[in-house]
Amino acid sequence: MQHLNQLYALSKRNIIVRYKHSLIGFFWGFFKPLLYLLIFIVIFSSQFSSTSNHVLYITSGILFWFFFSNCTSQGVQSIVQASGLLKSVYIPAIFFPLAEVIGELFNVLLALSVYFIVMHWFGMVYTLQLFWVLPILLLFAIFSFSVTLILSALNVFYRDVGILWNTIQPAIFYLTPIAYTESLIPQRFSFVIKANPIYYFIKLFRYPLYEAIAPDFYLMGKCVLITFISLSIGILLFNRLKNQFITAI
Amino acid sequence: MSQLLAYKNVFVKYRHNHAGVYSIKDLLTTFSMPFQYKTILDDVSFTLNKGESLGILGRNGSGKSTLLRTMANIVKPYKGTIECVGSIAPILALGVGLEMELTGYENIDLLLALYGQGRDKKRIADIIAFSELDDVTLKQAVKCYSSGMLARLSFSISFANDCAIYIIDEVLAVGDFGFQSKCIQKINELKTQGKSIIFVSHFPDEVERICDKAILLEHGKIMYQGNAHDICSKYREMF
Repeated sequence: MQHLNQLYALSKRNIIVRYKHSLIGFFWGFFKPLLYLLIFIVIFSSQFSSTSNHVLYITSGILFWFFFSNCTSQGVQSIVQASGLLKSVYIPAIFFPLAEVIGELFNVLLALSVYFIVMHWFGMVYTLQLFWVLPILLLFAIFSFSVTLILSALNVFYRDVGILWNTIQPAIFYLTPIAYTESLIPQRFSFVIKANPIYYFIKLFRYPLYEAIAPDFYLMGKCVLITFISLSIGILLFNRLKNQFITAI
Repeated sequence: MSQLLAYKNVFVKYRHNHAGVYSIKDLLTTFSMPFQYKTILDDVSFTLNKGESLGILGRNGSGKSTLLRTMANIVKPYKGTIECVGSIAPILALGVGLEMELTGYENIDLLLALYGQGRDKKRIADIIAFSELDDVTLKQAVKCYSSGMLARLSFSISFANDCAIYIIDEVLAVGDFGFQSKCIQKINELKTQGKSIIFVSHFPDEVERICDKAILLEHGKIMYQGNAHDICSKYREMF
């Protein structure tokens, strides 16, 4: 119970601090995906002439990409930034990356509710299948948490992990079919896309959001497997390293 | 008298980064193993009874803070046992855990939650009264505070914890004279309530004033332990 309170307080702090001194508060959370959306519409409009509803197509991917990107790039510093607290109060270290993901989950749920309204004008079909977004989002959040665990633990010992991660993020972004369709990738390069775990999640999100149908259960199984494996690696690594955090931060 | 805290042959080892490898770049350009183990606490044994206060003295880097962290369960010993009955208040050190972007009020709320304490109105009013910070100040972001004000705030929040053992790590040096004497008064008040104090300081006079027992640490070993007066005179002889 006390631990739950701690986790709640940390998540609340993250949400408050993030937008504390900003002009338009959490609307920044919508601004970034919106800007990317506009860029992609301008640049890729010819490519999308064959795709119906390309605004819906792009947003259904981009929203969750930024969830993942924000979680990991803020979470990677979470342990290092918590050095003062970790050295004086007994709080399980895992709460710091977890609170980042929970704070970000709150933001993406806000964004999602606005998205559900706005996408009405871009041809979204409201069906019961839309509720599939919630379990998929939970799965994706656990996956993002696992990546954050690994990055934040390594960043304690090697401080350039955070810099490195921010450098390779655009590469992962463009290797995920968010701004373009999968059919654009030549057959011989498709293995590059398939090696990217985020590809599977984005594809899964598009079943209820873009195509308005229930997700493919085979793909869902793949995502569960990816999440399970990454979470296991994340927790194993984090538990191995966490006793050394105090001396290294 | 009941025993609150018992250390039996406690060892703490840190993995010590001696080659200065702090980035992947360093790792790729260093050929030696970057990590070595270093013993911080070496066979530490002592006991603390209810109502007693213990002073910890020692040079810089002799393991005082690590000893406090083992009490608070933040650092785990690799050998030996620590038996602890009763709750321990969070270590009191300067400005710890205060979130610089948040206001004083928000920090009180955050820290009480992190310390696992209730956030009822009375407790918060007590904290504000003890810190002597006014409403305008508490509505400001903590980053605008002076170091003395930060000390006041964090000290007040830590004292609001209702625990059996209070750990105080060299904080009296920062507050102004009025606040210092108020803290000493508060410590004495806690002692009359039968609480135990663990007090770290570099000033033997303060330790003599507050503590009954004391420990003198040197290179992670307990050199002497016993009556606070004797230990303090031993400490003075060291320099």
